[in-house]
Amino acid sequence: MAEPLTPIEQTGRSMAARVVVVLVMLVYILGLFLFRRFNPNFPVVYTPIEDHFKYGSIGSEAATGPVADGIPYWIWRVLPDMFPDKLSGNGYASFGFVFEPGQDVPIGFGRRRVYIDRLGMNCAICHTGTVRDTPGSTPRIYLGMPANTFDMQSYLRFLIACVSDSRFTADNVVRAIKARTSLDPLETLVYQQAVYATREVLLERAGQLSFMSSRPDWGPGRVDTFNPYKTVQFNFPMDNDHSVGATDLPSIWNQAPRIGMHLHWDGNNDLLEERDKSAALGAGVTPVTIDLKSIQRVEDWLLDGLQAPKYPYAIDENLAAQGAAVYKSHCGGCHDFGSAYVGKVTPIEEIGTDRGRLDSYTYDFAANMNLLYAGYPWRFTHFRKTNGYANMPLDGVWLRAPYLHNGSVPTLRDLLEDPAARPKTFYRGYDVYDRTKAGFVSDVSQENGRKYFLYDTALPGNGNGGHLYGTQLSPGEKDALVEYMKKL
Amino acid sequence: MDDIIFQPLRFRNLTVKNRIFRSNISGRFDNFDGSGSNTRLNWEEKFARGGVGAILSSFVAVSIHGRIMPNYATIDSDDKIPFWREVGNRVHAHDCRFILQLSHSGRQQDVPGVENQFRKPLSSTGSIELFDGFVPQMMSREDIRQTIHDFGQGARRAREAGLDGVETHSANGYLFTQFLSSGINNRKDEYGGSLENRARFLLEAIAEIRKQVGDDFHVQVKINGNDYGNAVFPWEGKGNTVEDTIQICRWLEEAGVDAVHISGGSSFPHPFNPPGGFPVDWALRTFDVMLSSGIYTFRRYVIFRYRLLRPIFNFFWNRNKPDIVEGINADVARQIKSHLKIPVLVTGGFQTASIIRRYIGEGYCDAVSIARALVANNDLVKIFASGKDIPDRPCTHCNKCLVNAIKNPLGCYELSRFDGDYDRMIEEVMSVFHPSPFDPVPAEGGD
Repeated sequence: MAEPLTPIEQTGRSMAARVVVVLVMLVYILGLFLFRRFNPNFPVVYTPIEDHFKYGSIGSEAATGPVADGIPYWIWRVLPDMFPDKLSGNGYASFGFVFEPGQDVPIGFGRRRVYIDRLGMNCAICHTGTVRDTPGSTPRIYLGMPANTFDMQSYLRFLIACVSDSRFTADNVVRAIKARTSLDPLETLVYQQAVYATREVLLERAGQLSFMSSRPDWGPGRVDTFNPYKTVQFNFPMDNDHSVGATDLPSIWNQAPRIGMHLHWDGNNDLLEERDKSAALGAGVTPVTIDLKSIQRVEDWLLDGLQAPKYPYAIDENLAAQGAAVYKSHCGGCHDFGSAYVGKVTPIEEIGTDRGRLDSYTYDFAANMNLLYAGYPWRFTHFRKTNGYANMPLDGVWLRAPYLHNGSVPTLRDLLEDPAARPKTFYRGYDVYDRTKAGFVSDVSQENGRKYFLYDTALPGNGNGGHLYGTQLSPGEKDALVEYMKKL
Repeated sequence: MDDIIFQPLRFRNLTVKNRIFRSNISGRFDNFDGSGSNTRLNWEEKFARGGVGAILSSFVAVSIHGRIMPNYATIDSDDKIPFWREVGNRVHAHDCRFILQLSHSGRQQDVPGVENQFRKPLSSTGSIELFDGFVPQMMSREDIRQTIHDFGQGARRAREAGLDGVETHSANGYLFTQFLSSGINNRKDEYGGSLENRARFLLEAIAEIRKQVGDDFHVQVKINGNDYGNAVFPWEGKGNTVEDTIQICRWLEEAGVDAVHISGGSSFPHPFNPPGGFPVDWALRTFDVMLSSGIYTFRRYVIFRYRLLRPIFNFFWNRNKPDIVEGINADVARQIKSHLKIPVLVTGGFQTASIIRRYIGEGYCDAVSIARALVANNDLVKIFASGKDIPDRPCTHCNKCLVNAIKNPLGCYELSRFDGDYDRMIEEVMSVFHPSPFDPVPAEGGD
């Protein structure tokens, strides 16, 4: 039989137990506090699907190792304060980001706490654009539309230039942050470390993207989809790869009817889910950090929720009716949902458009892509090398200017001209709509300090030839066809 | 002789030959079970021989559950009467009176002893004592009734033993203080709350004592003038003030108490009682016997043990400690005496004849009680009688006797009083064990 305890021993033990309980609670509270404050993986979540699309995180800020890819929020905020000399205009707006009133970050940035709040790009960064009726109008924001104003290449170059600058030191950055907000000593310490970690990440990215300097600039609304992919995901040597793969950003609405079609400009994959996960990698996620649940929310909405926006201006219905007939005989066979050739690849010899983007996607690259997500049920298996460009459905085509895969033709009306008569150069990034020719006004070089990008069709990858369908129509038929296509 | 010190003090039922009482003090001289020893007889007799008018016994527990530590003679049963009768005889032989202090530790149980090992000490409160961490049990009405009965029986036994009176130990943090003090008593029943309620337990005990000993037996009460409950820890209750004590003493007087004996301090020891130093080095050597007694005793031991921590103890212990030692309670006694007709005794650092004379002469008190100065000079009264104002080797009030008492034989441990001769000091301390029944030749007292 165990001997009893004296009252002193009993009380001592119960007090010791209480001390242990209190200590455990204190440790728990401290842990909770530190976890809340420095959570290693805590995305900001939005309930409305539109907000989730615009500001939700898809995992591009998360950490694959000790260093997170996301840019610490406050570092991002103060870069324009610290380096106004590296901007051509007014802050981040000079890169054509779409800002909504009351928001401190533009559409297309998700936020996640990875020890500190970090920003990472999401789907909306490339798939949200704006339209102005006139230069004085307020821009209308269209979700799912190609990001017609956003110059991703300039933005990346700005970030790299900032962290490469000798002024980018922990002391300077923290001082700049403290000019905008207060940091407690613990946060100050974390931010000081984050400055160097951010520099490491971006300098590594700079090395991977160094090949960009030997190719024509992308300009707003365009991205070289797969060449950065080669170096960032696979460390492909680019010494002998001189391909130019810059393409126009696509719209992403109305995805349900696209199931089974060959997706991407060259039709290299016919599975929506793989196309989407691949695009997320382009936005900055990694196979480890990808937030599948978040992306699934976006996919579900794109499948059934988001439809192509209606043309908001007046349409000459008589003219459009004439155009409908022309469309049916000259276009519908390849571009209508349900038609024989929609979503299928037309050989390059037949379509005749610039082959830069097609050639940038190689067999080796397709084989490597099919190794991505190895070990997971969603491992890529559908990537393939094609020999042409896919016939895209034309829903909401009025918002998808400039046209052709490389965005080399500013308006629908121009596309119906013989290549020789299409504009040799034009400006990109301007969002005032050209209701006559159906596309964005493309002859404005600058406005209110923002300079627009001069697109030169003579440069490699920028060719505006090919796709001769409709070029032989009469001017009246062409006008009618354009009028009809506004309704698509 | 005109000297007021040597004027008899007449109580209602007792006359004492002079105004020097030996105050309550003893060592762990007795048997573990509370039966008395020959050493105790020696201890009490040497003060009687030294000339004090009366001896106030040390803490005499009315029950084993209420003792402060083993090896102190108790009066918890009738079989203890013969021992106390012998104590009385020894003392009376020197024309000295013997007043037995009826005591109950309450929660302030320094060493519970094996009989009490598995039961909590009783108290007015269930709150843990803050200095040593004694863990008490709040007394039920039945506990109160039984304890009052124990006090009555203790008084009866004292009278049957032929002793000259009893004193209830209602001061210094023991059970009665735990009821009286507003800083300790947190009861919600008729024994807690108002002063009247807090005094109920003591007054009921006095009534029971009177019932047992009759009206013609000397009964006095030792009580705190002030509790100074927050003297050490500021977060503790301040406790009773002299105004409260005056009211309690008035009720005691009405209840037939023959005298009050004024002390101070809501615990024992306390910065105010016994006044003087606190010899931490000696405390470290003896405090180990208390290590298992309270949940904070180890903390205190560690503070004693490591010199770097001692400032913590010194800060709390000394932060309110008064400079005065001799007559520390005199002014409070004067205030109390001014409201009473019965005589007032006072304790606290007395050693100088002229000072004692002045306090008695000026009506601060009717007599003084002395413990440590008599331990140092057992014949202090004779020294006064010889015309000296203060002994040649006076008590230094270092309190080394106090901290040794829990582990070693009680005596004076102030080496400076023995010219640095440690062996001589120990020899003096050990002298209390003689004469022993087994001594081949009586060492002294053969007359």
